Amino acid sequence: MKAKRLTRREFLGVTAATGAGLALAGCKPSVPATEAPAATQAAPTKAAAPTAAPPTKDKIVVGMSRPLTGALVAIGDSAFGPISKAFVEEVNAAGGIEVAEYGKKLPIETIIYDDTSDVGTMTRLTEKLILEDKVDFLWPACGTSFIYAQAPLAEKYGYLLITAEGGASTIREMLPSMPHVFVTLSFSDWYQLPVFAELVAKAGAKTAFVTYIADLHGIEYSGSAGIEFPKNGIDIVGLRSLPPDMTDFSEVIRAAQATNPDVFCLFGYPGQIMPTVGTCMGLGFNPKAWLGGPGVNFGFFHTAFGPAVEGIMGFDGYSPKQSPALKELADKLYTGKPEDIQDWWGHPFYWAGLQIWKQAIEKAGSLDQEAIRNIVATEHFETVLGDTWFDKGLLAKECHMAEIGQWQNGVFEVVGPVEHATAEVVYPKPDWPTG
Amino acid sequence: MQTGKASWLRLRTPVLWLALLAAMGTLSLYASPYTVIMVTNILMYVILTVSWVLFSAPTGYISLATAAFFGVGIYTSATLGGQLPLPLIILTAGVASFVLAALVGALTLRLKGVYFAFFTFGLVELIKHLLLWYEVSVTGVRGRFVVSADNVTIYYIILGILVILLLTSYLIRRSRVGLALQAIGEGEDAAAHTGINVSAVKTFVFALSAVFAGAAGAAMATRWGYVDPYIAFDYLFSFTAVAMAVFGGLGRFEGPILGAVVFAFLRELLITRFPYVYMLVMGSVLVVTILYLPQGLVQLAQKSTWRRLRGHREPA
Repeated sequence: MKAKRLTRREFLGVTAATGAGLALAGCKPSVPATEAPAATQAAPTKAAAPTAAPPTKDKIVVGMSRPLTGALVAIGDSAFGPISKAFVEEVNAAGGIEVAEYGKKLPIETIIYDDTSDVGTMTRLTEKLILEDKVDFLWPACGTSFIYAQAPLAEKYGYLLITAEGGASTIREMLPSMPHVFVTLSFSDWYQLPVFAELVAKAGAKTAFVTYIADLHGIEYSGSAGIEFPKNGIDIVGLRSLPPDMTDFSEVIRAAQATNPDVFCLFGYPGQIMPTVGTCMGLGFNPKAWLGGPGVNFGFFHTAFGPAVEGIMGFDGYSPKQSPALKELADKLYTGKPEDIQDWWGHPFYWAGLQIWKQAIEKAGSLDQEAIRNIVATEHFETVLGDTWFDKGLLAKECHMAEIGQWQNGVFEVVGPVEHATAEVVYPKPDWPTG
Repeated sequence: MQTGKASWLRLRTPVLWLALLAAMGTLSLYASPYTVIMVTNILMYVILTVSWVLFSAPTGYISLATAAFFGVGIYTSATLGGQLPLPLIILTAGVASFVLAALVGALTLRLKGVYFAFFTFGLVELIKHLLLWYEVSVTGVRGRFVVSADNVTIYYIILGILVILLLTSYLIRRSRVGLALQAIGEGEDAAAHTGINVSAVKTFVFALSAVFAGAAGAAMATRWGYVDPYIAFDYLFSFTAVAMAVFGGLGRFEGPILGAVVFAFLRELLITRFPYVYMLVMGSVLVVTILYLPQGLVQLAQKSTWRRLRGHREPA
């Protein structure tokens, strides 16, 4: 009896120990990357902080609070996550960033914390990066509401913040009061929906049915559509908000079908877009133009629906056909990887943001936030988007290589604005494939 | 010998608590700015956990409404921030949570066991979606900015809320209401037959416990900067409070406090030092704790635990 109890206990003990050992072994590779800077960085920065000019420095420490667990993992891991990783690898392979003050190239070292997709945790970790780790630079958190919470902190501590995932017209109003914050990504009226409305109006669209997810993103885009569509002579014949956790879209699609609109819009996420496409096919609802996003712009949209994606439009950032630099970026990011990870909207914006950051450091010749901020705010940079600059804190719309894309022959072609188009818009869109 | 030891034992606890309070009360003088922020966060979890324990531990009613009261506090801060001084906002948040909990309690404390747990969980979702609907269709804003406050100020406010909560909790345990709660937990019908106004006691303590979650939410919102219904009414806060309490141990006054502190600190350590294995390690720790310390972390403080872990059997 007693021996039996002991065996069970021992078994559990050994299992637990093995599990813990495996867990520790599993995190080993990440330990040098995350832990090393905290340990090695602490000494020089702490000593250097009081005096203005630190005598020695052998790396640039960049801090990030990112969603490694929780609801935002899928976005973070496909958007800025791979971009920042590829960028750091590329810069470090070339020896780092030349900083004149130190007379040498400094490699980038990253500290990444998991904000568990929670805003409160993100703000706390951002303050940890700034106050405790004393990182040289802050890289952005993931998501529009996270930008809203992080931007005031960056401003408070005088840290430059070039954002990635997220952006909205309401942040434009805040930017004048936050000179350290720069928004890279395009959004609703900057300059996606004006371009879309003009594009389909010219093709002959007269009516539109607009559906949107009842959140910041949906409200933002439906509001912008409410301004841009009438401006271009398109009547909004139906407007429906969708609760974020809705899963059956047939009633909404039937309602849309009843109004027989030329244009159907769904301002939502893949969680709404994917089932809605299926519902439209099932109910035989095939409007002349179908716009949805974010979601349509990803490679996984094509791999999921195959030929059914033909003619569907979404938000767009670039095409490798537009310039050698953009082709190089696409090759660098996607070659040898599954199509699912392709993102034709955000990637060039995030990459350009990092390029601007690097060039501004080189131009400033120091790691001084103010000097670098002033350069970012006022100068032009040569990036993957070509001549690039910020206009009142937003990446100038003249630098956008694309606003609206359309799936044509299995490729997400740029169709708007016309001056950047890689293909002419197909309107009306082809029928859903049969069978 | 016996009496000397006993008097020291009687004095030991208050002395330790006072020393702890003195250390916490002067934290901003000797700790780094980030330590203050981190401790604020840990204390927030202690508040949520202890306020949950205040009602749920003695009665056995598992409430998952902590996130609802916390969220009400957050939104009070988001809507009133900048219009009222901070202490008034926090007071308003506490009152708002009290009223909500009293209403909900009066309506639903007839439900028992898992039904009550389900209802309180539903409450979080209900308020979230009502608020979302209201913000989208009436005010037209989905998210709100919260006027920020000084980190040290927020720390002391949170500490103040916690001290009041601990005192309340201690006094309730020793009061007639506490005895009544205990009786309700052990047999509600029997308690009713002894003349306890069961509904009134349950509703009152449920509402009282909500005050602290609401007040903590109002204070913490100022640290977050930006909130929307999803951020504010995150049901994880409900589950975290329960997990922390069970982790620490419900049997003793110190248990939930210890549970919340260790749990919150461990989480902080993992998401910063080992972000890629955070969930894995957190889960393992919980499983091992439940397996070996069914009465929670406080069990470690009992000598018999150590003996049992080494294979000795406790004398029955």
